[in-house]
Amino acid sequence: MLHSPLTLAMCVLAVAATAVGQNIDMSTLPPRDSVQLTIYNGEDLTLVRESRHVTVKRGVNSLQFSWANTLIDPTSVTLSLGAKETDLELIDTRYPHDRPQVLYWNVESKRDGDAQVEITYFTSGISWAADYVGITDAGDQSMSFDGNVTITNASGEDYEGAQVRMVVGTINLVEKIRDLASRGALPDELVQTLVYGDRLRDMPENARAAGRLMLAEKTKDIGGVEGLGKKQIVKEGLSEYFIFTVPGTETIKNGWSKRMRLFEGTQVPLKTVYRFRPSEYGNQLVRMFLVRNDEKSTLGSTPLPDGWVRLFRKQATGGLSVVAFVPTKYVPIGQEFEFNLGRDPQVILERVGKRNWRDDFWFVRNDPKKLYSPDKGDRVEPTDKVSGWIDHEDRVERIRNYRGESIDVEFRFGIDGDVSFKSALAPTLFDFHTPDFKSSVKAGETKELAFEIGRKQGTSAKQNAVTLEGK
Amino acid sequence: MNAHRLSSLLVAAVLVPAWFTGFPSAAFSGVKLIALPQRERVEIQLEVPGLTLIEEERTVPLAAGSNEVVFAWANAAIDKSTVQFRCLSDPDKVQVISVSYPPNENALTWQVSSPTAGPAKVRISYVIGGVDKSYEYRAEAGKDEKALTLWQYVELHNRTPEAFGESDMFTGYGERLERPVGANETRKILAARFDGVPIAKTYTADLAQFGFLDPAKRQLKIPMHYVLKNDATHGLGRFPLQPGKARIFQDDGHGTSAFLGEDWAAFAAKDDELKLFIGVAKDIVVTRTIEKRDRKQTAGPLSDYDLVVKYEIENFKDAPVTIDLAESMNALHREVIGEVQRPVEWVLGSTGSLKEQDNAKSTSDRIVFRVAAPPRGADQKAVKKTETLHVVMKNEW
Repeated sequence: MLHSPLTLAMCVLAVAATAVGQNIDMSTLPPRDSVQLTIYNGEDLTLVRESRHVTVKRGVNSLQFSWANTLIDPTSVTLSLGAKETDLELIDTRYPHDRPQVLYWNVESKRDGDAQVEITYFTSGISWAADYVGITDAGDQSMSFDGNVTITNASGEDYEGAQVRMVVGTINLVEKIRDLASRGALPDELVQTLVYGDRLRDMPENARAAGRLMLAEKTKDIGGVEGLGKKQIVKEGLSEYFIFTVPGTETIKNGWSKRMRLFEGTQVPLKTVYRFRPSEYGNQLVRMFLVRNDEKSTLGSTPLPDGWVRLFRKQATGGLSVVAFVPTKYVPIGQEFEFNLGRDPQVILERVGKRNWRDDFWFVRNDPKKLYSPDKGDRVEPTDKVSGWIDHEDRVERIRNYRGESIDVEFRFGIDGDVSFKSALAPTLFDFHTPDFKSSVKAGETKELAFEIGRKQGTSAKQNAVTLEGK
Repeated sequence: MNAHRLSSLLVAAVLVPAWFTGFPSAAFSGVKLIALPQRERVEIQLEVPGLTLIEEERTVPLAAGSNEVVFAWANAAIDKSTVQFRCLSDPDKVQVISVSYPPNENALTWQVSSPTAGPAKVRISYVIGGVDKSYEYRAEAGKDEKALTLWQYVELHNRTPEAFGESDMFTGYGERLERPVGANETRKILAARFDGVPIAKTYTADLAQFGFLDPAKRQLKIPMHYVLKNDATHGLGRFPLQPGKARIFQDDGHGTSAFLGEDWAAFAAKDDELKLFIGVAKDIVVTRTIEKRDRKQTAGPLSDYDLVVKYEIENFKDAPVTIDLAESMNALHREVIGEVQRPVEWVLGSTGSLKEQDNAKSTSDRIVFRVAAPPRGADQKAVKKTETLHVVMKNEW
């Protein structure tokens, strides 16, 4: 590991701790015995745990640890003495301000001999991301659905023979590891060079997707991807998170990526639905695939981390066609999730106003507190002023289904004001101002989903809510 | 002034004629330097943030009569008004007569009277900038998250070019620490360790405080906290816990640990709770909607608002959880009625399923309920539990 920027050097002599760093006698450079990487995808953070053997002498031993040109957070570097090392005690840790990226541990030993130590630290620049590939059958009734994870090492350090674990979840960090790592230690251009993965992270979603694909292609070209490995990744829960452990060890060199299979789903049932929900999907009718992450769907072995989904459709000729490339958010085990495929050119929505009219007028004369209603038998004068009324609007959602099968449609949209919503579509309320209704449209059918909106105006408006009424 | 280069701090005892009243620079240039007493002991008192007191002991040779003792420093931010001279060996007889401050120099001169000639042990105290402390915590929770081990570290930062050598330090709490303090270095020392500290793991659904995880789907962000209590019953309580960054790990059951998250630990007095935000629970889904908003005119311009907030709770974990379901009345008013013009007057309505609030945690603005959510079933589907909060906001106009 002489090429590694990480070094652990040792002063074997009992020395006055304040003098350490000025006249260090590097007598040993113990290599790593083992290394474990725990990579987080919610943050640019990897916990590195490595064990090394050092030789100690009776008295105070000074261990120097340095990490030049890496993205290690110096505040996180911790030395743990094995439980068996009862003759050793860590006295303190010293960070000389005039020598960045180095620290000294003062360890007192009651004996001469070997000792096993464990060093843990956080580093920036190693990331992992999930991506998924779904291939639907020709009728979009089911699909194969495979999950992959790609690890990218841009940390400045090679990790050979490492046990690799990936954590799914959103941990809380109060400071960015990259900031801690580079604070006064690394020139900006070096940080920029090292953190390729993070630049991806900062990009907009679309660009990130393109970047990931580009990165995957790039690493494929240079041989960084060892193909879709056959190792079965072990999945287990821990606190609020899920940990994926790659069996055995992996070598992940700086600048390289590695992609591995996370799970394989076969014959995953698909439910197709068309939704009009402006607050969720914009002002359009979109086609959705709904899938449940459970064993019944041949999934459910793991929560699905955030990632990009590439959906294809299997053609009768044996080839594939692109359905959509869409992002997905974290999906717990057992939860239904959705793919927004966007507008379907074969299903057309027209939102049509059919008729407007007004009624239930109220008038005011000299006394603003006294209102007159012709409907109640009051006489009104030409000089009276209109104070309240109801605006009525007949509307239809006209759907033209050019597909070869029946489709389910769902509508949910908010309406402001003191509103009555009349429809024979058995609407329900999603919340106090958002009606929700469903229907289905047969193949080749043009269907109009009709409803009436009555909006109280002027002094007649007493509420800001939708009331459902049958029709 | 070659003596200044020997150390950034200098104490010199100078024999001068009794009539001499000049400033130290003049004294150095015209008199014989007879001693450069070394520090024999250093104490660093770090109790008060921003006011670090150095106390050092030296042996100064004094002549019978009046002595000029010069104290000078370079490259150190010493508040000269805080520098004190005390004789330890004969405090009743060796006394400071006066202190002189030369212009534009980091120095002062004590005029010290001594009845006899000979060495005197003195203690010099001063407040110095660039030397301070901070705290860090590391916690490792057990696999079952019932208890944790907490390590408290104190970091002494010496940002001066002065090496203090072996120093006795007191941070204000806990045991005194003896460590060498070198120039321009930070030294991290284990200050305390607490084993078997019980933890309460909490989940909180509170839109006003934590917002949405997915605003379009009205899905609330559910933060997870570890709550520790700083008292003896809960394995702590030895002293107030100072603010600092806390990094939390958990035993992963494989002989190693995983990092769960970090938070700034706030000051926790004895008997107070320390609440650490670890991360967001994504396997607990709480969808919050306003089911009802009904304005009822009561008298003249006054109206009451009937509000029903609906929570659909799905626990996708294998174990049951208890969630703190909280609602801010001011925030709810802003969301549903409009800006708050006056204190919100509200009562719980009769139709909601949430009736028994947690009185210890609830306030006039924030109402808190403890809600249990069952684990997902054998078919892996979560049981959707619906709770409603019925609030009447009264006398609005």
